[in-house]
Amino acid sequence: MSEVLGYAFMQRALFTGALIGAVCAVVGVYVVLKGLSFIGAGIAHASFGGVALGFLLGINPVLTAVGFCLATAWGIGLVARKSQVKEDTAVGIFFASTMALGILFIGLMQGYNVDLFGYLFGSILAVGEADVWITLGLGAGVLIVVGLFFKELVLVTFDAEMAEVTGVPAGKVYFMLISLIALTVVLSIKVVGIVLVSALIVTPAAAAYQLSEDLRRMMALAVVIGVGSAVGGLLLSYWLNTASGATIVLLATLVFFAAALVSPRRRRRMVKTLGP
Amino acid sequence: MASPIIQLDRVRVIFQELLVLEDVSLSVSPGEFLAVIGPNGAGKTTLLKAILGLVRPASGEVRVFGKAPWDLNGERWRIGYVPQILSVDLNFPVRASEVVLMGRYGRIGLLHRPSADDRAAARQAMERVGIADLAHRPIARLSGGQRQRVFLARALANEPDLLLLDEPTTGVDVATTESLYELLRGLHEDGITILVVSHDVGVVASYVDGVACVNRRLVAHGRPDEVLGSEELAQMYGCDAMFFHHGQAPHMVVERDP
Repeated sequence: MSEVLGYAFMQRALFTGALIGAVCAVVGVYVVLKGLSFIGAGIAHASFGGVALGFLLGINPVLTAVGFCLATAWGIGLVARKSQVKEDTAVGIFFASTMALGILFIGLMQGYNVDLFGYLFGSILAVGEADVWITLGLGAGVLIVVGLFFKELVLVTFDAEMAEVTGVPAGKVYFMLISLIALTVVLSIKVVGIVLVSALIVTPAAAAYQLSEDLRRMMALAVVIGVGSAVGGLLLSYWLNTASGATIVLLATLVFFAAALVSPRRRRRMVKTLGP
Repeated sequence: MASPIIQLDRVRVIFQELLVLEDVSLSVSPGEFLAVIGPNGAGKTTLLKAILGLVRPASGEVRVFGKAPWDLNGERWRIGYVPQILSVDLNFPVRASEVVLMGRYGRIGLLHRPSADDRAAARQAMERVGIADLAHRPIARLSGGQRQRVFLARALANEPDLLLLDEPTTGVDVATTESLYELLRGLHEDGITILVVSHDVGVVASYVDGVACVNRRLVAHGRPDEVLGSEELAQMYGCDAMFFHHGQAPHMVVERDP
């Protein structure tokens, strides 16, 4: 164990992994409760376009992904709110088109870039010094915004109409929420990968939902599960020599099924259906 | 006579290319207890949403406390709103007391935490509707009637002057329905103006002092005995469908407390 922790790359990976696990879990609570999982997946895939653009232009792909994901999130939000198109249709359109743009960008590059695989599926080795700072900055930013607007985010998630009626700017809070999802996606892609990041957002929160009927407790539990899956998954992936993102996500999924098995919610529902 | 709390002037609402409300003019005076009735899909909920400013009329004018609903700004708290219970996720992990406190979030404002006053107001609202003992209960573990009181308490947490309720008794039994209307009667006696959208024609008639029958247009508006007693009127404009729907003979609903 101490041998593992001695490596600088492993220290970096564990630190960013724990931070990512926490941020994903906190944002994931809102995603799960408001039913935004598909938007999360859509934005995650949009980051592929952003990363590819970064490679094409020769700048840090994480930075281009920030712009790309925010633009996609707002695009989905605007189309869903201002037109007759349903939210999931809007996601479907942006999902594919941003991936397509990414593929175009790659095609424009001279030669094939091997780094891209790490972005798609996550890699411990990919976490450099700069990535630690980017993750720390973005992660702290997301958590601070959640802390500042905690009650508005809860109200809009629970009952957006009530928010609007009582003078809480529901539309702005919604856009803030999807922006937070976009930033969370971006700060997670180095470790978990584009393809899997939405699972790390959704799964710990979904597991915590099974176990709690109090929002703050649900969030605290989600953070424990998220950080535990990230750190545990990274260590496992080192020992088993498996892909880090996949290991983290599968570990979180195991926790979800365990939570669903013992869930008081599910037991109560069964009593209701089976009862007299 | 005091100036009306709600004033609708020839309001016409078009939603997704459908004409939902047409030429609705209605005024509600301070202290009135008005029921808006009408068959399903008659535009009752849309009428409420127009008053709340959630839906903007294509033409005509809506005034609440003398202002357009979207210009109320700092006065928004004066309206208490109880939405249809099925419009929210009932498995949401939140406790009754938190739901009630949410009613005050707009008034508390961004970047502020609820103060002791806010919590006291929420507690008082819960006591007013008789659910103080349920404060810590997650909403998923409440009965339909208890949940409805939580949402009523949320609307009352701002100590509003106007209370709007959308089908508050959907899915609850007759006894619960009556006790809810008793509660509303008490609030009415305290001076709160109440507008309730309902299809419990029979129950409503004995509590309210006015009935507005809406079926895209305002079909009738008056005292309960005037509106509900006039059978031809009801049949002519389609309100009969509602009576038939609820298995109530029209003559049974004209009764009104002296």
